[in-house]
Amino acid sequence: MLLPLSRREWLTRTGCGFGSLALAGLASADAARAAPADPLAARPGHHKARAKRVIFLFMQGGVSHVDSYDHKPRLDADDGKQMPFHDSRMIANSGVRQASNRRVMKPLWKFARHGQSGMWASDLFPEVARHVDELCFVKSMHTEGVAHGPATLFLHCGSTTFVRPSMGSWVLYGLGTENANLPGFVSIAPSAGNGGPRNYGNAFLPAVYQGTPLGHAGGPAADATIKNLAGPLPPAAKQANFDLLRELHAEQLKRTPGDAELEAVANSYELAWRMQRNAPDVLDLAKESAETKALYGIGEKATDTYGRQCLMARRLCEAGVRFVQVTYGDNSANPAWDQHSNLPKHGDHAKAVDKPIAGLLADLKRRGLLEDTIVWWGGEFGRTPYAEGNGTGRDHNPTGFTVWCAGGGFKKGFAHGETDEFGGQAVTDKVHMHDLHATILHQLGLDHEKLTYRYAGRDFRLTDVHGHVVKGVLA
Amino acid sequence: MTRTLLLPAVALLTAGLAAANDFDHFEKKIRPVLVEQCYSCHSDDAEAKKKLRGGLKLDTRDAVLAGGDTGPALVPGKPADSLLLKSLRYDGDAKMPPKGKLPDAVIKDFEAWVAAGAPDPRKAGGAAKTVGLDLEKGRQFWSYRPVANPPAPAVKDGAWPAGDLDRFVLAALEAKGLRPAPDADRATLARRLYFDLTGLPPTPEQTDAFVNDKSPDAYEKLVDKLLASPGFGERWGRHWLDLARYAESVTLRGLVFKEAWRYRAYVLDAFDRDVPFDRFVREQVAGDLLPAATPADRTRQVVATGYLMLGNNNLEEQDKRQLRMDVVDEQLDVIARGVLAQTVTCARCHDHKFDPIPTKDYYALAGILRNARALKDANVSQWLEVPLPAGPGVEEEVRKHDAAVADLQARIKAAKAVAAKNPPPADAPPAAKGVLALKDVPGIAVDDAKAMKVGAWTESKHSGSYIGAGYAHDDNGGKGEKSITFDPEIPATGKYEVWLAYSGGVSRADNVPVTVFSADGEKTVAVNMKQPPGIDGRFVSLGQFRFEKDGQSFVLISNEGTKGHVTADAVTFIPADQVPAPGAKAAPPAKGKDKEKPADAAAVAAMEAELKRLQAAAPKRPMAMSVVEEAKPEDLRVNVRGSVHNLGEPAPRGFLRVATVGPAPAMPADQSGRVQLADWLTSKDNPLTARVYANRAWHYLFGSGIVRTVDNFGTTGETPSHPELLDHLATRFVADGWSVKKLVRTIVTSRTYRQSAANSAAAAADPENRLFGRANRRRLEAEAIRDAVLSVSGKLAPAPDGPAFAPGLAADYGFKHTAVCRSVYLPVFRNALPELFEAFDFADPSVTTGKRTTSTVAPQALFMMNNPFAVEQAKHAAARLLAEAHPDDAARVVRAYRLTLGRAPTAGERAVAAKFLAAQPDPKAAWAALFQALFASADFRFIE
Repeated sequence: MLLPLSRREWLTRTGCGFGSLALAGLASADAARAAPADPLAARPGHHKARAKRVIFLFMQGGVSHVDSYDHKPRLDADDGKQMPFHDSRMIANSGVRQASNRRVMKPLWKFARHGQSGMWASDLFPEVARHVDELCFVKSMHTEGVAHGPATLFLHCGSTTFVRPSMGSWVLYGLGTENANLPGFVSIAPSAGNGGPRNYGNAFLPAVYQGTPLGHAGGPAADATIKNLAGPLPPAAKQANFDLLRELHAEQLKRTPGDAELEAVANSYELAWRMQRNAPDVLDLAKESAETKALYGIGEKATDTYGRQCLMARRLCEAGVRFVQVTYGDNSANPAWDQHSNLPKHGDHAKAVDKPIAGLLADLKRRGLLEDTIVWWGGEFGRTPYAEGNGTGRDHNPTGFTVWCAGGGFKKGFAHGETDEFGGQAVTDKVHMHDLHATILHQLGLDHEKLTYRYAGRDFRLTDVHGHVVKGVLA
Repeated sequence: MTRTLLLPAVALLTAGLAAANDFDHFEKKIRPVLVEQCYSCHSDDAEAKKKLRGGLKLDTRDAVLAGGDTGPALVPGKPADSLLLKSLRYDGDAKMPPKGKLPDAVIKDFEAWVAAGAPDPRKAGGAAKTVGLDLEKGRQFWSYRPVANPPAPAVKDGAWPAGDLDRFVLAALEAKGLRPAPDADRATLARRLYFDLTGLPPTPEQTDAFVNDKSPDAYEKLVDKLLASPGFGERWGRHWLDLARYAESVTLRGLVFKEAWRYRAYVLDAFDRDVPFDRFVREQVAGDLLPAATPADRTRQVVATGYLMLGNNNLEEQDKRQLRMDVVDEQLDVIARGVLAQTVTCARCHDHKFDPIPTKDYYALAGILRNARALKDANVSQWLEVPLPAGPGVEEEVRKHDAAVADLQARIKAAKAVAAKNPPPADAPPAAKGVLALKDVPGIAVDDAKAMKVGAWTESKHSGSYIGAGYAHDDNGGKGEKSITFDPEIPATGKYEVWLAYSGGVSRADNVPVTVFSADGEKTVAVNMKQPPGIDGRFVSLGQFRFEKDGQSFVLISNEGTKGHVTADAVTFIPADQVPAPGAKAAPPAKGKDKEKPADAAAVAAMEAELKRLQAAAPKRPMAMSVVEEAKPEDLRVNVRGSVHNLGEPAPRGFLRVATVGPAPAMPADQSGRVQLADWLTSKDNPLTARVYANRAWHYLFGSGIVRTVDNFGTTGETPSHPELLDHLATRFVADGWSVKKLVRTIVTSRTYRQSAANSAAAAADPENRLFGRANRRRLEAEAIRDAVLSVSGKLAPAPDGPAFAPGLAADYGFKHTAVCRSVYLPVFRNALPELFEAFDFADPSVTTGKRTTSTVAPQALFMMNNPFAVEQAKHAAARLLAEAHPDDAARVVRAYRLTLGRAPTAGERAVAAKFLAAQPDPKAAWAALFQALFASADFRFIE
């Protein structure tokens, strides 16, 4: 080894190079916690954590909650009737909160109670329905943004408009990562649309907290990898070039011995080299048994892509990655789960994700990972209980929808909150997206009011000046 | 409704309360609820915990009556006028408590309490509402004081300073018992100066020329040469583009700003020609309103206002009033941080917590900008573009064309008027007769039989003329309950013309809402089905739309609000380049009974098609992104808590009072105030503008400002290390006619700038180099890294004349940056930055950036090791070197080092290179590897 630095020395010294930036921005309360000079070093949060990591299964576009988990008999009873509703799009457009007549549309999937807990679920997601005893449903979600772009940014970054760090970046900033040889925040198959890179961006947080995209929405799972992890050169040439670079750096360091900045650059190559060697193994699904692959639906036409992505997520989490997002979506501005017309198409999307998600839950559970992993399932909003424009689909609904969380100290086989009798608006025990963010951070040991970063003269938070931890969903 | 019903109910309740006028009711029914439900956000305690909401406290009687941001919480005895009750009833903007409405019984208790005069024993007034730093105190803060012109201080070492600038620096060093560093050697200086002034490394020949120039003013000559080179605009223009959050697309939907490049060209040109900085700012804020001497000036000035247009706005925001204020807020942030280094947007929701910026000042400024419109409202709002003056020839063509269009439009109108007087007989067969097979319809056609129907639609063949299997109609019934949706499989993303086929006639509805859902949102067209369809007697065109493969692409016909039969026969989506020429397939015009009828439907259709063709072939005036003034200027009212739906006191248009020295420009009632804003910003009395830019120039040249928080001269920013030096530079900058080149020249010709990085005494005493007693080693920016690589490889291409992307590009998703021109010309796409930019801390193009972050992360290393750009350019560099005449590999190694790192290799480095080259079988590959390693190495990334 030509670089005469121990890892400990490296961590201390590189702190002068890039750690200082992170430290300078940390509010004083966090300064002590971030004392290790490596801004990515794993560290405890503000309080005892119930979960170590998050897998966010992003259903891009907005799954219809009234066709999946929010059982509303009135929709069957009043199917086809014109009734007054507060339509979010109309209210936003007109600025006037006024009801308008809409045609009630019954769910296209049949509801039944499932599991020991008797949770309601329709047969849209039959495989996941077998796991309801592990799930904590939040049926009174509401959020900001009527269109996909704003609502998607809000879901990820807590703001519909402004450039803010993504939730994964905040978590990484708060907790560091458990595997220095891998990125700490990974977004599998993110969409280029509706905010694109901003949804996994670090914004004003130091660049070490940026999300790493693997592939893109709509692309084949097999191609999903870290950018520039492999290059055009053959392995032998790579090794020779890397050895040469090490020697050049050793000579450059001789000109200014002990120079922390030069060492930081030299060491970024050491990390990249290790990442180049380790990451492909983690991303390689070949090592998984046929049984495991089948569990995720890998090899079946409908479920192969999302199944691979979910399995990849499990492998990344196992390897110590802090925050993994798996997007089911589309690479354009019009996302997959977006049936303004032709609601039956929801069935195709459900088919693609149902078995992979059920497989992920089962696999995490049997490996003991579900205990300290939060699996969060949901979209940027829900859909209306009435037909859009009198057609065959449903429009966006940010005022009431359902998400579920599993593992990580969330209650099991439990439903929190309610929408009105049509499923239109959250009315009981309402949970705003800010609240959900606060609650997930809480389970990770982070206090959303203390997780701050000073930028442009003030302290910023994921939850802005809002958010309450929803104690009712916690075991 | 609530009010009228409520009053009697309350009256009854109060009557029934035995002791409503003492505190019993309050203690039993009101206080517990306040404590439990309200205090966590509305009390002294909440304030102490920084959780106070809406400026409202409910923990004393006085506080309740004083109220919060929206006024008193209640009026004793007047339930109907009490906001608190309104909020509890969830009957307004504020719905309290936010977690859920309280039980009706509790709300009734509150109503009774208020009706009874709100008896409340709680005393001890709540603290006054918090406000930011007082204006008068604020004016004492260093950055708001008028700029002074301090004399240069005396120094012990009179020989060192090359000018006044150096005296300020040296005096501060001497005060700490320190000496400046020795001058850097000439090769180091050449590399520093070339990168700082042009963003490119010197070639070994250029370095040698300077090193060997023995004339006493060799350095000054080099400075002047570089200041005069186009590289200066490319380098310093780019610095400004960081502040202008310059980009060529918007994140949401990736929509491309196809005219934004003009603004980039304007900025580069302004720095090249050394347009005075005050004029430069004035043009960007109000260029469209300023007098212009020539059409060229007019063009420059309109293009300059692109500055106000480049925000990464949420065009999809459905609440357009909100969007309007978001746009203003964004513009204000860019101007305030970029020009004034002030964080005014904090004051959008409340008085600035730290700086002397009241909310009213924010809305005074916002009011000015709100009088200029940047967007046209639509589902996805569109940014405005305005025509630029064209050459005289084009103007004449435009005039002729406009006349031809107007003439044709008049003829069509006249023909239609005649046709309306002679309606075809009831249910008469339309112009086209018979059945047309679906396969004979151009484009991707969907028959009504395959459409999704909601409600009862009747299938009919009655008219005898239809496509496919008949047509559908709504039986003129179930209005508002029926719809029919045509949803084709779009084979490829692109532009399509959408045609609707229907069965026309007098019994039909004349206002059928037909909505097209495309990649750009939805658009509803009212179709008059009483008229026979214009195209081939079967179709009407609904317009051209962009559809994405797998994206939303459908047409929904509703019978909502219609009178008469709604019919639907088929819908077809024709790729825009395959739309049949008008009349190509048209049936012969139907023979009307009246031979003198001047025009029938087919003739109208032909004229309409001609009109379309004419409009498509319109002579083009160049367009630019620019704001458009509102016809009637207005003041804003304060948006309480930043909500556009909660208006407070009026905020007459004006400026930041704390930063106004002397009288502010008068605000004429009939003007928007933008010209006055520009005047105020660039007044020589403005305490911020000159200081802020002088500090920025220093920051760009030293890697650290005199005020290190370059975008924040407020109280939360840092204070200047050399306040007098900053004022000296600012004064001189204004006195030199706001010349950026002179400012830069003053700085780079100082001894301070020319120091070397080595000064161990200063480094020990002043580790952060706040005293500038040595050169900072600085990071090359993303653009400089890329441009240096390309200049070494010899592949750097000349600047493009216009945008560096194809004209038709609609969205930036997945854009591949293949151009090898200088980085400043690569399109700045918010969803698709060049990979190298992303890896190497390019400025976030969505926000004003005065100081880029500098990270050292593994993705940078992976880029340099594996990205095809790094690999390919290294090969080119190697090929170029091998084609040159050099005696041996040792000479080539020296050359490679000088090309990449601007210095000769050390003995150790020569040995490493020699060993590596000797071990490699293929010299081409070996040299490529050596170049790639040099590009990747730490020294390449720094300038000293």
